[in-house]
Amino acid sequence: MKLSKCLKHALNMVLHSKLRSWLTILGIVIGVASVIAIVSLGEGLEQSLTEQLGDLGGDIITITPGFSRGGDIRSGGDIRFAPEGTGAQATDEETVLDRTDVQALRGLPDIELIDTQIRGNVDVSYLGKSGSVSLTGVDQKVWSLITTNEIREGRMLNSADQNVIVIGGGLADSFFDQPLGINKVITIEDSAFRIVGILDDGSNSIVMPIQMAYQLLDDKEKDVYDSLVVKIRDEDNLDAAIEKIENKLMITRHVTETDRDFSVSSGQQMNKMRSEMLGSMSAFLTAIAAVSLLVGSVGISNTMFTSVLEKTKEIGIMKAIGARNKDILAIFLFNAGLIGLAGGIVGVILGIILSGVMPYLMSDIPLARGGTYVSVDIILIALSVSVLVGIIAGFVPAYQGSKLRPVDALRYE
Amino acid sequence: MIKDQNLPENENDVLLSLEDVWKIYPMGEVEVPALKGITVEIKKRDFVAIIGASGSGKSTMMNLIGCLDIPSKGRILLKDQDISQFSESDLATFRGKTIGFIFQQYNLIPTMSAFENVMLPLEFQEIDDRTASQKAKEILAFLGLADKIHHLPSQLSGGQQQRVSIARCLVTDPEIILADEPTGALDSVTGKNIIEMLHKFWKDDGKTIIMVTHDSNLAKYANTTIELKDGKIIRIQENEVD
Ligand SMILES: Nc1ncnc2c1ncn2[C@@H]1O[C@H](COP(=O)(O)OP(=O)(O)OP(=O)(O)O)[C@@H](O)[C@H]1O
Ligand SMILES: [Mg+2]
Repeated sequence: MKLSKCLKHALNMVLHSKLRSWLTILGIVIGVASVIAIVSLGEGLEQSLTEQLGDLGGDIITITPGFSRGGDIRSGGDIRFAPEGTGAQATDEETVLDRTDVQALRGLPDIELIDTQIRGNVDVSYLGKSGSVSLTGVDQKVWSLITTNEIREGRMLNSADQNVIVIGGGLADSFFDQPLGINKVITIEDSAFRIVGILDDGSNSIVMPIQMAYQLLDDKEKDVYDSLVVKIRDEDNLDAAIEKIENKLMITRHVTETDRDFSVSSGQQMNKMRSEMLGSMSAFLTAIAAVSLLVGSVGISNTMFTSVLEKTKEIGIMKAIGARNKDILAIFLFNAGLIGLAGGIVGVILGIILSGVMPYLMSDIPLARGGTYVSVDIILIALSVSVLVGIIAGFVPAYQGSKLRPVDALRYE
Repeated sequence: MIKDQNLPENENDVLLSLEDVWKIYPMGEVEVPALKGITVEIKKRDFVAIIGASGSGKSTMMNLIGCLDIPSKGRILLKDQDISQFSESDLATFRGKTIGFIFQQYNLIPTMSAFENVMLPLEFQEIDDRTASQKAKEILAFLGLADKIHHLPSQLSGGQQQRVSIARCLVTDPEIILADEPTGALDSVTGKNIIEMLHKFWKDDGKTIIMVTHDSNLAKYANTTIELKDGKIIRIQENEVD
């Protein structure tokens, strides 16, 4: 019998199969749906990370005091988006970055610019409303040249600036009852500041000249910095530049590899770290999905054994009228593949629905914030895997069915 | 594969011969001999009725003749070829082309329409769709089922179902028709109809027919009657038929 005919008969069998046998595709449905949901989550996360981190700048290096083996999860730009306290502070609290370090770094020819930054939380008020936001004090001469933030309105800081600030888009649009605009004056810790620029982001942050920030943040010592942001001359020499910076600072700070008290990180490194994290996470989730697919395949196998048993008589009839073993085998394999495909299709639909609602259901979990993204590739992969799982699961029963002796099969009631 | 196709046809050509055929079923410890040394020759264009009491081995003999089973001992020659020499898949193809089966319980595939059931053997032979569907429709129409071709077996009466199964048997134009109690599930009028149909295929189309029956009234349509008892042939009788 031609394979196309075998497929037709297999399809006929699937369409006539009992409700009970449809229930056993549940395993495949769940497996495929969870794979789609998980992968869509991962891809959504990856896309949003690329959006966030893509413009970190390959030529920016951030130096922070303290050192931990895990590395420093801190933005290479200006606005930190990691939760408070994620930074590396594993060593002595006394360790600081100060003018000496800046001097040391100035001696390195690889470095083009150095921005000195401090950070803290401040109370802001505007038209009687107030709240707490994060403040970054920057070297205003350098910041506009280094930052990867874009200005949406107004301008960056410049060297002549005194009591002026640049604010994040979130602070401008939605923090207070009324949106903030250029030249509006807000109160920060009892001093008045004029807004000269609004960043093109959603953050609730304030950027101001570092000298002003020292006055507002009482606990910060003058000429001590929370981070140094460095722009190197040649992006391609990033790794070499990091190494030179590390060696230089180790010498000037009189520390060695074992007791070093500062961290050096780059946007590139962070990207790598994040994608490694993502990778191991999705490997774990994929393993879960694989288990449910396995369970699904056991279900299909079971259905197929039952189906072959139920169709024993028909196998006998077909053999009597000229079916060869391989015809029977092909029909039942196609049947199993189609059951798998059916499970796969239902699973894909369920998975797409799931990945659509997931960001809303899990809005508290940072992983889901990136939204989800279902690619055509993953749908095709999921469908082919379901068909394959069906065929593999159906092989043994189909083979047994094809080997039935015609007399025995015909006798079966 | 088929040797004697080009030889001149001869009324006395032996189509099928059983030589000391035994069939022994193992039943746990004991062995049940269902056939004990059957030797018989069936000629081309014979209409053979096999009769005998229940359990005498009639169906067992039919299964062997139809290549659905292999003998425990002895040889079966079908068109001069020892069927035990065939591979399983050659046997299936050979069976599909040479032999047509009509069963007592019709044995139609319940999920397929009358038309699809009749198409099935042609599909196994990989005959092209147009020729096949034309043949199937012709035969169904010939058997008076033109308006029923899209009915499922469950939507047909017993007699109609048996006619569908006859259509399925005839559509491949087999040389030999094997019918195991073809009228067993039908009332006597419908049964007589079916038998007269078989008789016509024998007489007009030159088919070789081997039929198992309980009913001695039906046996008289055949030109040869073989009577079995306890797995042995006790009588072979030639009848006068018109
Ligand atoms: N698969 C089998 N296993 C064991 N014994 C069998 C098997 N098939 C048939 N027999 C035995 O072989 C003998 C002949 O059976 P068979 O079916 O050929 O009888 P029959 O003449 O067709 O009877 P009936 O008229 O009732 O159909 C019986 O005794 C039966 O019990
Ligand atoms: Mg019988």
